[in-house]
Amino acid sequence: MAQHILHKNESRGHDHLEWLDSKKTFSFADYYNPKRMNFGALRVLNDDTLAGGKGFGSHPHDNMEIISIPLEGGLRHEDTAGNKKVVTAGQVQVMSTGSGLFHSEYNNSDTETAKFLQIWVYPETLNTTPKYTQITLPGASQENKLYAFIQPGQETDTATIRQDTWFSIGTFDKNTQLTYQTHKNGNGVYAFVIAGSFLVDGKELSERDGLGIWDTTEMTVQSLSEKAELLLMEVPMEF
Amino acid sequence: MDNTIRILAIGYDEPIMKVVGRLIDSHGNWQGTVAMSREEGMLKLQSGFYDAVLLCVGVTEDDEAALNQVMTISNPDAKLIRHFGGGSGLLENELRAVFDKK
Repeated sequence: MAQHILHKNESRGHDHLEWLDSKKTFSFADYYNPKRMNFGALRVLNDDTLAGGKGFGSHPHDNMEIISIPLEGGLRHEDTAGNKKVVTAGQVQVMSTGSGLFHSEYNNSDTETAKFLQIWVYPETLNTTPKYTQITLPGASQENKLYAFIQPGQETDTATIRQDTWFSIGTFDKNTQLTYQTHKNGNGVYAFVIAGSFLVDGKELSERDGLGIWDTTEMTVQSLSEKAELLLMEVPMEF
Repeated sequence: MDNTIRILAIGYDEPIMKVVGRLIDSHGNWQGTVAMSREEGMLKLQSGFYDAVLLCVGVTEDDEAALNQVMTISNPDAKLIRHFGGGSGLLENELRAVFDKK
């Protein structure tokens, strides 16, 4: 029987600094809640707003799969593997940090705020060679469908990370219904509402709510508002 | 009563380990010692007392088994913790998950 864990928007950890407003679904940095450590291999889901011209200075990472999804504006990325990129809303940045690198991430605008989701997934193997990928989402051409933008076995226009994960995103008209089937036994799905509201496996979710679902292979999704946007993250529950 | 928590952080990337060591020391009652190789980690385990051993960048499963073997003799009460992420994001969480239960 399907198991659920609901994380309401307002229950998330919240850091508000002059340059950064960060809402954290799971424990991260100063936010520590032993009941909110992870959902399977999904360890971090931060909903960040960066002030114009501000960002994260050079800092290290290793052994973590880091996915950044800009929702508004853009991020200027630079790392010690030689990557210098700007990733904007409608694109996704995927970094397998493996054996380690330093990087910085700044708002690409000096005046406008940038909003993005920062997602970390535990890797399947340690100390691999770092890898950087940037992809563009299909946008309007894929409306009312889920688009799998991270999946094992890299295909054109999708990315892969070093874990058995499938990430899908979609924007829907009101009352669109679909069924999501997991790709691998033992995987769970974490649904996060980017905009609007949804009914996911019978649970009503509002903007920025999250729902973890496991011990099932199939779940129903229904959009309850126009231009409703949903992110589904399928990850191993044991890893 | 001394409430210092002594943490041995073992990892093989010097720039990253400098940051990890600095982050540990910046926390109130945590005191970090950094080892940059498996051998150095073993020597430090044999010659010092630690509450936690943090396995960081580059440490393999073989290294972990070897270090654990030394630890069970020289520091049997120490907690072995795998550190992910290489920086401040998860470090405090990983240590608090162990020490807040004590």
